[in-house]
Amino acid sequence: MHFFELAEPASLQEAIGLLGDSGGRPVAGGTAVMLMMKTGVFQPERLVSLRKIESQYSQIRLDSEGNLRLGAMTPLRRIERSADVAAVAPVVTAAMRRLSNVRVRNVATLGGHLAHGDPHLDLPPVLIALNASLVVASPSGERTMPVEDLFRGYLETALAPDELIAEVIVPANPDQRAAYLKHTTRSAEDWPALGIAVALTLNGGTVETARVAIGAATDTPRRLTSVETMLIGNPHNDAVLQTTGDATAGEAEVHSDARGSAAYKRELIRVFTARAIRQAVEGDRA
Amino acid sequence: MTGGSTTTVGHSFPRMEGRAKVTGQADYIYNMRLPSMLHAKVHRSPISHGRIRSINTAAAAAMPGVHQVITGEDVKAVLPEPYYGPAFHDQPILALEKVRHFGEPVAVVLAPDPHVAETAAQRIVVDYEELPAVFDEVEALTSEAIVHEELKPAGTFADLKHLSGKRDTNIALDFHLNHGDADKAFAEAAHVFEHTFRTQQTMHTPFEPMVALADVRNDRAEIFSSTQSPSFVRFELSRLLGWPESNVRVKTSHLGGGFGAKVYVKVEALAMALSLIAHRPVRVAQTMEEQFYTITKHPNTFRIRSAVDGDGRITGRKCEVWWNGGAYADIGPRVTQKSGFTAAGPYDIDNIDIDSFALYTNRPPAGALRGFGIPQLVWAYESHTDIIASELGLDPVDFRKRNILRNGRPQAVGTIVEDGEFEAVLDGVAQRLGWNRPFDKGSGTKRRGRGVAIGFKASISPTTSSAIVSVNADGSVIVYCSTVDMGQGSDTAMAQIAAEVLDVPLDLIRVVNPDTDVTPYDMSTLGSRSTFHMGHAVQLAATDARDKLRAMADEVGLPEGSNAPLPELFIKKFGMRAGTVVGAANYKPDYAPPNYETGQSPNATPFWMIGAAGAEVEVDTETGQFRILRLVNVCDIGKPINPEVVETQISGAAVMQLGFTLTETMIIENGQLTNPSLADYKIPGLFDMPDVMENGFIEAEQHNGPFGAKGAGESGTFGVSPAIANAIADAVGVRITEMPITAEAIFRALREKAGRPLEDV
Ligand SMILES: Cc1cc2nc3c(=O)[nH]c(=O)nc-3n(C[C@H](O)[C@H](O)[C@H](O)COP(=O)(O)OP(=O)(O)OC[C@H]3O[C@@H](n4cnc5c(N)ncnc54)[C@H](O)[C@@H]3O)c2cc1C
Repeated sequence: MHFFELAEPASLQEAIGLLGDSGGRPVAGGTAVMLMMKTGVFQPERLVSLRKIESQYSQIRLDSEGNLRLGAMTPLRRIERSADVAAVAPVVTAAMRRLSNVRVRNVATLGGHLAHGDPHLDLPPVLIALNASLVVASPSGERTMPVEDLFRGYLETALAPDELIAEVIVPANPDQRAAYLKHTTRSAEDWPALGIAVALTLNGGTVETARVAIGAATDTPRRLTSVETMLIGNPHNDAVLQTTGDATAGEAEVHSDARGSAAYKRELIRVFTARAIRQAVEGDRA
Repeated sequence: MTGGSTTTVGHSFPRMEGRAKVTGQADYIYNMRLPSMLHAKVHRSPISHGRIRSINTAAAAAMPGVHQVITGEDVKAVLPEPYYGPAFHDQPILALEKVRHFGEPVAVVLAPDPHVAETAAQRIVVDYEELPAVFDEVEALTSEAIVHEELKPAGTFADLKHLSGKRDTNIALDFHLNHGDADKAFAEAAHVFEHTFRTQQTMHTPFEPMVALADVRNDRAEIFSSTQSPSFVRFELSRLLGWPESNVRVKTSHLGGGFGAKVYVKVEALAMALSLIAHRPVRVAQTMEEQFYTITKHPNTFRIRSAVDGDGRITGRKCEVWWNGGAYADIGPRVTQKSGFTAAGPYDIDNIDIDSFALYTNRPPAGALRGFGIPQLVWAYESHTDIIASELGLDPVDFRKRNILRNGRPQAVGTIVEDGEFEAVLDGVAQRLGWNRPFDKGSGTKRRGRGVAIGFKASISPTTSSAIVSVNADGSVIVYCSTVDMGQGSDTAMAQIAAEVLDVPLDLIRVVNPDTDVTPYDMSTLGSRSTFHMGHAVQLAATDARDKLRAMADEVGLPEGSNAPLPELFIKKFGMRAGTVVGAANYKPDYAPPNYETGQSPNATPFWMIGAAGAEVEVDTETGQFRILRLVNVCDIGKPINPEVVETQISGAAVMQLGFTLTETMIIENGQLTNPSLADYKIPGLFDMPDVMENGFIEAEQHNGPFGAKGAGESGTFGVSPAIANAIADAVGVRITEMPITAEAIFRALREKAGRPLEDV
């Protein structure tokens, strides 16, 4: 292993000051960083640990409008067990059970999970479907961006080197139903070969709003807008579901890897899109 | 199940070391440190085959904190023939002139700080002239790429002698067996079937990686190793050093798993050489990743052909098996021969031809892994069996029973089967599955199926075990044996045997961890041989001690049949609590080596191990994904010494094989292993377990075994993979011929069958 310096600032502002031109790279739970360091793909000179920054960044609360606010340093396990999360976004709670294993969830944080930019993660499509946004802090202040805009490429995000994710906001939407399906092709606890999330509202037998997002099979987590378009204003019957599945085939660029060939993953997207929509429609409000 | 007339043997006592393990108090070699010790970190070859032009160690040696950088030439300077291996002396301690597989150790950095050593090891620069490489076992037969210019059999095995000095071939061993007249059987057959099956390369994944510490000084080598073979390590290191075995001490502890990875010499020779050169204690401790480059399970290709008559009797079988042994033979030639002779399956077939080849390739070496080649064979012959049954319209269980091997009949090797309860094992699985009851085959996109498979194995033979049992003056007992408890519960079994013979309570027995200065010879802890061989030796040694105690009782004038407590007996004899009574024994079963031309032997094995599995699966026809609803494993293990430990051996073996069936595979692309870590080499987790799992054994007795027992460590692996493939075929009508069985492979086969093959673009 390579030698490096470890800084443990006591505040978010101080942490930001150690990044960027100062040569530091943030580390939160360290689960992704350690894997990259062990394989030698990442050799930092200075790591800036976020473990000791203000405790507000590892808390979960509801704001005055009922939106869910999750501090970036919140461990995934705390999110999994939060009653507030289960009330506002039960699809997030449900996704946790098969997200890696409890040992990783105990230390991995939400901010690290998103900032890692790895397409093979479970929460990005879920948060995109729920229309969540990020509060990002930098030396020049704070900005807000949709989670959807975070991902730029494989392990590439829209964050500048001196920016940190401070908070994630999941808007309250009591009428929304959502589902997330994770498909693994190696062991059950593997990173997904495909993750697909659907959030929609219904008006009688018709779909009123819909957001559909996939991860893992594509270079970045992304929305399937053609599927959304086909759904909105239409009944959610088998015929429509069939066409949505078919629509996915052309929309997303899919790559072969150890989890499956591109051709197979395209078939999976087709099947799981329809299944996820059906589960969202039929499931309890989510 | 209880032990009938026995009080200790046959009863489920908890494992002796269990409490220390689950409370974190058990000691492992991996945690051991020696004063003034140096850590070794290995620089490994990035290429699969090449000549070493030069090694530049300057940058590594110049790094602050580095003690020394050592190459193969440095080793050669102190050990003129620095090659080791149980079958061939083909493996250099550090690469000399050539590298033969990616990940091969080329140089080592020694430093007091392991992180310094690791960083420095990356700064070693090696210039290679790359050579063409071969990775596939069938291509290796005819390839231009030759892994070893000259074969160097170790001379330990008589049947390898003819290979001595052979040049320019990748065939490390060819084994041939002819039983009856197979050509005639095929000419007269009503039906002929031919299929080819393949298995992938996998790794043992012991959670305590391979580790050895060596302290060599003053003509004395002390080796502390997580090894399954302390006696062999002593033998091989004393050979390399040219020292008597009494100058080499090999000590081990509880192992954090072995599974065959830690048999024979692994990192011990390197640790010894480094300490010899550095004059300091040295620790060579692998990471999980490095184990992928050290020893693996043989991939293989198996072409199997059967001749069947009009009554569904198999009249002839021809087997061609190619074993991918990687760059160094390790114990691969044994796999080729010992497993080779069971390649036609547990069936009573009059006419059999077997050709089995051990091949060198430019992959990491392959050796023994729980089952010793048998699971790779059963995968083929039991898949083949189901295809035949289905094409002939016969019930798979009936078809097997029509052909099954029975006691009193010759196995293909020519040895008459004794105490082999093949049919009862098969019946045991069928019964637990409710084979004769109707089965819900599912509907829509969820289809269900079930399948069975049965396999068997001969014990490695001839091998010797020695034991010492000493009785202390207070009546407590110490068992000295070199069987290594690596999680299989052998210490508990040996203690139970000694307790039974001496009629003392189990908690008065202590089993000493193997230490070649103290514990006597044992061939090795492998191949499920310990219960039978060491169990015998302990039984004999304890009997020897018991006889001596009786003689002592006579001597002090105790009446015959007196049950005076042992402490009293010692006081009567020595006037106080003093003295020791020592029993000792060697055990070696009878054996007749196979004829080189025909492969026939009247006595090839002291016992047969038999295991069958039954699986129920549910397949998602839209994705190929499947769940194992139920997995049943039944074995013939003779009479159990400890029924609960046997059951966990069966379930552990089955789960391990489940990993090799479903998730585990070493992916090699462009001569590189792309997944050498547990992040990408997937062992099964809890969610991958079958919904229901049943593990059991049938009533049986091995007449020549200690208390009727025989080996039980591997039988649970035999049937798992083909039972699952057979169940999938039953569910959705597609046949998977290559392991691992993936959802994508099933999906592709389903599309193929539907006439819409999946197009790759
Ligand atoms: C064995 C294993 C299995 C896994 N399986 C799964 C799985 O099945 N599904 C799944 O979804 N995930 C899985 N993961 C991934 C896991 O979810 C991520 O590793 C984890 O979420 C990363 O969080 P962390 O806090 O440990 O990040 P770190 O490793 O600390 O950081 C990750 C990246 O984010 C940056 N970073 C961290 N915090 C911030 C911040 N606040 N602002 C800006 N940048 C930041 C770091 O600089 C780094 O580049 C698995 C991980 C492991 C080790």
